[in-house]
Order: sequence, then C-alpha cells, then structure tokens
Amino acid sequence: MNALLKIKGLETGFRGKRGKTVILHSNLNFEILNGQFAAVLGPNGAGKSTLLRTLLGYQKALAGEVFYGNNLLESLSVKELAREVTVVLTDKLDESFLTVFDIVATGRYPYTGIAGRLTEDDKNLVEEAVSLVGMIDFMNRYVHQLSDGERQKVMIARAIAQQTPLILLDEPVAYVDAPSKIEIMELLLTLSHVHGKGIIMATHDLEAAVRFADRLWLLGTHAETAEGTPDDLLQNGTINRFFDKSNIVLNKEKMIFEKKL
Amino acid sequence: MYKRGNSGIWFLIFLVLAAVLFLANLWYGSVLIAWKDVLAVLLGSSGKNKVYEVIILDYRLPQAVTALAVGMALSVAGLVLQTVFRNPLAGPSVLGISSGASLGVAVVVSAGSLIGLEMLNQSYLLFDIPLVLAAVTGSLLVLLIIIFVAQRISNAVTILIIGIMIGYAVSAVVGVIQFFSRDEELHAYILWGLGSFSNTNNMQAVFLLLTSLAVTAAVLLYSKSLNALLLGVAYARNSGINVKVAQNILIILAGLLIALGTVFTGPIAFVGLAVPHLARNFFKTSSHGILIPAVIIMGTSLTLACNLVARLPGYDTSLPINAVTSLIGAPVVIWVIVKRGKVKKA
Repeated sequence: MNALLKIKGLETGFRGKRGKTVILHSNLNFEILNGQFAAVLGPNGAGKSTLLRTLLGYQKALAGEVFYGNNLLESLSVKELAREVTVVLTDKLDESFLTVFDIVATGRYPYTGIAGRLTEDDKNLVEEAVSLVGMIDFMNRYVHQLSDGERQKVMIARAIAQQTPLILLDEPVAYVDAPSKIEIMELLLTLSHVHGKGIIMATHDLEAAVRFADRLWLLGTHAETAEGTPDDLLQNGTINRFFDKSNIVLNKEKMIFEKKL
Repeated sequence: MYKRGNSGIWFLIFLVLAAVLFLANLWYGSVLIAWKDVLAVLLGSSGKNKVYEVIILDYRLPQAVTALAVGMALSVAGLVLQTVFRNPLAGPSVLGISSGASLGVAVVVSAGSLIGLEMLNQSYLLFDIPLVLAAVTGSLLVLLIIIFVAQRISNAVTILIIGIMIGYAVSAVVGVIQFFSRDEELHAYILWGLGSFSNTNNMQAVFLLLTSLAVTAAVLLYSKSLNALLLGVAYARNSGINVKVAQNILIILAGLLIALGTVFTGPIAFVGLAVPHLARNFFKTSSHGILIPAVIIMGTSLTLACNLVARLPGYDTSLPINAVTSLIGAPVVIWVIVKRGKVKKA
C-alpha cells in the first residue's frame, strides 16, 4: 500500500540570520499508511510542533523531503495541500460570534468556489462531521460558550469535514479534563481504525500515546529520534531513555513516572 | 438548524432606517422645506421654486450621498482591519491611517499653493485626482508601518497605542507643513481636518459613492478569506487560503476605502472602529457574508444620523462631524476594552 505521508532524510529546525542555524532533528525517516494512528512523542520543547509545522509547509525543512502520496510537499499548492492534510492546532479562538457550524464549515473551503458558498452536500458533510464527534446539539452555539474539550471536538469535526486522508493534531488533549481526554482519544482511534484516516498526533502525554497509538515517533530534546510500536519501544527501554530525568524514571507496569529509589 | 437569529429583521430595520435618515438629510436643515416640496424637487416636478432646487440638489443631496459613501467606506475598512489584524481595536482613525491620508492631502495642498492653486477651496476634477492619489499613498504608508509593527507585537492594546502614536507623529508633520502655509490654506485645511460632509459637489459625491461601492464589492469577494482568517493564519492556510496574498489584497482595499473616506471630508473619527462592533452585537455573527452588508447599512445610518445631529437647528453652519462621531465612538472603544477584560478573566 502507498504511504499517505513519507518523510525522507528530513532535518527540522530554524535557519537563523548570519548562519546561526538551529538543527532540532536530523535524518528523520517516517511514513504513515491509511488507518494508522501515529504519535509524535517527546518531552516539551523537543521540537514536535516544529516537525508538524514543517510537514505542513509552514516552515521550511533544513534538508530532506516530504511526500504526500507521490507528490513532493513543495509541488502542492495551498489548496491542493488542504485536500491532502488537515490540522488541529492548539491556537485558541477568541472570536466571540463564531458558531460551531461556522468553524466546521471552514473545513469545506478547499472545495468551494471564490465566494465560499456551501452546497447542500457541503452542509450535509458538516452536519455528519459534527454528529460524529457528538456535538450535533451544539451546532448553533458560539465558540466562547464551549469548554476546552468541546472546542477540541469541534476542531476535530472541522478536520473530518475537510475529508483529507491525513489528520495532524498538535497536543489535542493538553488542556482537556481526564474524561474528555479518553473521549477524544477514542474518537481519533475510531477515525483511523474504522474510517481509515491516517493520524499523526504530537503529544507529550506518554500514557495516552502508548495506550492508543499504533506507532510512536520519538523525538528527544537532544536531537535523538526513534521509531517503532509502543510495545517494542517500551520493552527495549527506548522510551525510558527519552523521558527519564536523573532522578525520575518510568514505572512500566503502572505507566507513571516516579522518583528513583 | 443553521438559523442566524433575526438577521433578516435587523437588515430590514436598518435598511428602512438608512432610507429614512437619507430623506431626513434632504428635508432637515437651516432652511425649512416642506416634505411635499422635497418630493417635488426629487421628482423633478417643482418647476417654479429654483431656491429649493439649489438647496436640495446642490447642497443637501451631495452631502447626504457623501455621508452615505463615507459611512460605508470607513465601516467596511474597519471590519477588514479588525479581522486581518485579529484586533478588535483596529480601525481607520485609531491606527493613524486616517492621519496618513491627511498627510497626503496636506502635502498636495501645500505643493499646490506653491504654484498658486487652492485645492481645498476650488473643486475641479483636475485637482481631485492628485488629492485622491495622495490620500491613498498616505494611508497605505501608515498601513505598511502598522503591518511592520504587528508582525513583531501581537498584543492588541499595544498595537493600538502604537497606532495612536503614529497618528500623533503624522499629525505633527502635518502641523509643520501648516506652519509654512498661508493663512487661507491653513483655514481651509483646519476646517477640512475637523471633518465635514458638506464640502463635496455632486460630482465628487457620486465619485465617492461609486468608488466605495466598487472597492466594497471587491472586499465581498474576499469574505471567504476573511472568515477563514478569523480562525487564525494557520487554520486559514489549512483551509486552502493563500494567506499572504489575501492579507495583502485586503489591506490595500482597506487603505483605498480609508483614503476615499478621508480625502474630501477630512478624517472622520471612530466610525470605522465602532460600526463593526455594533453590527456584530445586533446581528450576533462573525460571518463576513452577513457582516459586510450589515456594516454597510449600519455605517451609512450612523453617518447620516451624525450629519443630522451636526446640523443644529437655528444655525446656518453645522458642527464638526468629528465632534459628533467621537461622542458616539469613544464610549464604544471603552466598552470593547472593558468587555475584553471580562472575557479574559472568566
């Protein structure tokens, strides 16, 4: 099967002025297939968001290539890319009179004409997406009336309405309460395993990543990287190497960090 | 399912209000003219009364059309700026953009006086063209500075304060130009700077109306981009919008509208900032497909109403429009800041 996304020898980081280039991670080689749920896992500040931004073309890769299907990222127009990949970000929306419908409808924009007029089909797809995340009763609510968890589900509905084979999420459960977290993770699992979407989720939440993801892409704070299934990476101690601090270690049985005895 | 509150009713109400205010602008003034005489003049059947014809067709009609065009131009510009900068406090006058347009006008007026022209007093089409171009250049120049600042600072209130400072700085340059001007120009320029809808002839009024309509139509074409930009640059881009291009075009369109709303009438304070907030709160939406028409009818209603208020009964001349718009606009700014403070705390 053809990969939805393929990364070859990618180097992420920032090209600064006067040659002060900061390299975060080098020689990244990952790929993701239909129905696969991958987690980009690493401590805060490791460069997970930078990787996502690079995959989306928001910032330039220092080296290497990103392929969507058979197309090189740079060869896709903004509109073409918007039909390949959709994104759920941590950005807060403070616009007070946007409704759930308004937000999810922007997921249909890559398919509408210049005026952005929604067809009946578009409206049905919006409705379907909102039902799928269980927010149909909130269709006419304003965004500022929603809780963090509800807002995150709305942004996922927007991603669903965009009908892309691939969904990128940046810390989707960082600000939500524990029950909403499980709800959102189950939703992502359904989207990948039932609906066949490829999902890449950046998170520092080790427990969620190990429990739900099919594959882990580990990004460390010192440019180290690793890739594999959660079980393998857990058993062979790779995860410990990425997360342990001098006096805090992961307890594999309980999946919690504790003080070294 | 996707109902929009009562936006249809509000459209009707404000449309009727704008129409009534427009007619009231033709009827009400220092010279009392009966309703039926006003109608007779408008229908071209007055025949006998030349005085009424002159008052209504040459004085009050261009004034009303100018108020309408400027109300539309500034309100649409304010809405565009608030969305593009994602800043509820953005607006033509607060960001110093109107001052930029004023600077352009001041430069051209004094340059004209050097070769013996009085551009603000005599209106010939030949003089209007450099004035309009200068106003457009001035407003876009200040917009460039604001963009430069906004890329580095994201705090809305900080940008507002910097905008006000730019406004002061530009006004200071204008002051220096005035210092070297002759008395007649100075007088004309100061009157212009106070703001008035009554300095235009019919041709200028129609020019303002048509060009404002044309630019507003162009803004309407970008309502999809504006809606996407409400979610922020990253989401807008992910919705397939070419963000850089859309932002640049929208800022140029806003600059054009502000120049049009300033060049013949002087800088009109607060309309562009206040009207989008009033529209959002009446129509309960952030969707530009509804908001753009909404700010057009509310903006025209507001300027037409201000123009009526400015025409004090019993006086031949009218109050400066800015005195009236500021009395309405300043409380709106305070209300927005207080409301934002509350939202942040909650």
